[in-house]
Amino acid sequence: MKKLINEFLKGIVRENPTFVLALGLCPTLAVSVTLTNGVGMGIAATFVLLGSNVIIALIKGSIPERIMIPCYIVVIATFVTITEMVMKAYSPALDRALGIYVPLIVVNCIVLGRAEAYASKNSVSNSFFDGLGMGVGFTLALILISAIREFLGAGTLFGHALIKGFEPALVLGMPPGALLVIGLLLGFFNMLKNRKA
Amino acid sequence: MNKLIVSSSPHLHNKESVSKTMWVVAASLVPAGVAGVFIFGLSSLWVIIVAVISALATEALIQVLTKRKVSLIDGSAFITGILLAYNLPPDVPLWLPVVGSCFAIAIGKQVFGGLGHNIFNPALVGRVFLMASWPKYMTTFIQPLNAGVGFVQSMNYDAVTCATPLALLKEGKFAEQISYINLFLGNRPGCIGEVCIVALLVGAIFLFIKGYISWHIPITYILTTGVFTWIFGGKGLFAGDWIFHILSGGLVLGAFFMATDYVTSPLTRKGQIIFGIGCGLLTAVIRLWGGYPEGASYAILMMNAATPIIDRYTLNRIYGTK
Amino acid sequence: MSIAQFLTIFISAVFISNVILSRFLGLCSFVAISKETKPALAMSLAVMFVTTMSSIITWIIYRFLLIPFNLTYLRTISFILVIATFVQLVEMVIRKISPPMYRFFGIYLPLITVNCAVLGVAVLNIDMFFVGAKAVNGSFVYSTFQGICVGLGYTLAMLLMSGVRERLDLCNVPKALKDFPLAFIIASIMSLAFMGFNGFKF
Repeated sequence: MKKLINEFLKGIVRENPTFVLALGLCPTLAVSVTLTNGVGMGIAATFVLLGSNVIIALIKGSIPERIMIPCYIVVIATFVTITEMVMKAYSPALDRALGIYVPLIVVNCIVLGRAEAYASKNSVSNSFFDGLGMGVGFTLALILISAIREFLGAGTLFGHALIKGFEPALVLGMPPGALLVIGLLLGFFNMLKNRKA
Repeated sequence: MNKLIVSSSPHLHNKESVSKTMWVVAASLVPAGVAGVFIFGLSSLWVIIVAVISALATEALIQVLTKRKVSLIDGSAFITGILLAYNLPPDVPLWLPVVGSCFAIAIGKQVFGGLGHNIFNPALVGRVFLMASWPKYMTTFIQPLNAGVGFVQSMNYDAVTCATPLALLKEGKFAEQISYINLFLGNRPGCIGEVCIVALLVGAIFLFIKGYISWHIPITYILTTGVFTWIFGGKGLFAGDWIFHILSGGLVLGAFFMATDYVTSPLTRKGQIIFGIGCGLLTAVIRLWGGYPEGASYAILMMNAATPIIDRYTLNRIYGTK
Repeated sequence: MSIAQFLTIFISAVFISNVILSRFLGLCSFVAISKETKPALAMSLAVMFVTTMSSIITWIIYRFLLIPFNLTYLRTISFILVIATFVQLVEMVIRKISPPMYRFFGIYLPLITVNCAVLGVAVLNIDMFFVGAKAVNGSFVYSTFQGICVGLGYTLAMLLMSGVRERLDLCNVPKALKDFPLAFIIASIMSLAFMGFNGFKF
């Protein structure tokens, strides 16, 4: 049990997919304009990660090595399609806001990376907790980035205005702002790491 | 220079120290600033002062925090502050130059390792950041005061907001034509340091004579913009008002004082000509078809990004190497 | 179909909505491979080729297979499979006919399969040039052209970035910002500069 919890926890800080492994940055930057979008994308990606990790850990023995990657992609794409359909049916507004970045979860390096590096070598339960940890780590990173961007770029959090008279820097809601925030955050975490070492 | 020295580029002027160059450039910028304050009133003087002080403060603060030598004396942060202020409308709230200068120095310069290492012109980085963040303030301009009496009245003068000539042109309503002579003297709405062409030219000629800038970048830049707007700027080909395009906006300020920045422009003459033509084309294209009325700052930044590549393909190779 | 339309697609794909600097597609490869100019250029050419070809192929599949059989919900799966197969095929062909070319950009080809830019442009084409389940006028040509332009935008960003980063090797960059963080900050400034083209109308 302790090992499983460890598998879960490592994705959150020690191997955080965004800040430590620098994987899956495309959706992170694109959708982190508002907290709502960030949380939505985090949950969607977590679902796909969990599903694909478990299925791949289940079938890992029965597929020949040469067609492994295509098989992974099919498994992942299936979960992404499910996510797409569910989102279109139950939350069309979120689906519109996330746009092409929902189908693009297929090529999110985190998902394929975990499938190849972890789920294909480990047991189902381990893979489940690995997927969950990575998903939560990814979601937390998204929450951090989108909170910064929504607060400074629009003056709101979850759409609620916070401080009266605050003039938001619109650029943080735009692509250059996303690149800037992630660059500075990566630098900040590097600094913490250097200080510890 | 009495002696003709034949050498292959890059031509390094070793005699001049960096800080002397910087202070001479700063001095050459003074006429344009004085003209700006005279034209728009005292509010623009405050913008300049605040921008310069915050640029110096940011530079010092970062250098202290990162335990580097504090180098305010080299004058580069001073110039960044001045140039940023020159690119702001005269009546902006005073927190705007503060934020702009901090951003210009921190993100435009210090993250690259300080003076001499920055890829982009810091003042322009600050300006486009402000432009994208607070477009409302960055595009609100005031009428020039009536020369002479204006300066005295400016303490309690109610500013009248209006659009710049280029912005009017963009909206397609260019009814009341501003005469070329007014454009030349700076009697038009615009940013603090860009309006008075004659003052800018005084500074530029001073730098030319002293040998601090060469003609390659500014002349090719201005000529390209002129030719391009002449060909495509009017109804039908070869009917554009190229004099208007050269005299308005931030073209002259940009061409002489920002595109010529040693650190962020190419080293060789050939590279500088490519750089100038690139700036000119991009400026004209943005002015004629882009969403913003003025494109000089964006054009220079884009060419700043291209400078390492230009250098790479125009630098003289050492014989025998690849 | 008109020249203005093509020009708008061009400016939009190369500058305003630059695939990397504004849409953030292919960001991983962008940061990883833009340290030197030569590999960056090789990767860009490979990407340009694949985005163009996959735009053509996915358009045909969507128009003549998915729409008639009412299978549009299989878009994501079918596109990614087709792209993966195509890339594999190209890799094999190149290895057979031109070993030097294979050495030049062969190693980057497998990476392209999971390059979001390729799938991104395919999905984007469908979103932009199909209304409901019907292709708009000139849809095929626009899609192909957009494929080329996205590739060009990728190349431009790669080329500029690799030049800048080569120069930064000589610079005294703060330790915490070395490599990745600084690459993102530079990309941010480039993206700010490209905003100059916002609202472009020919």
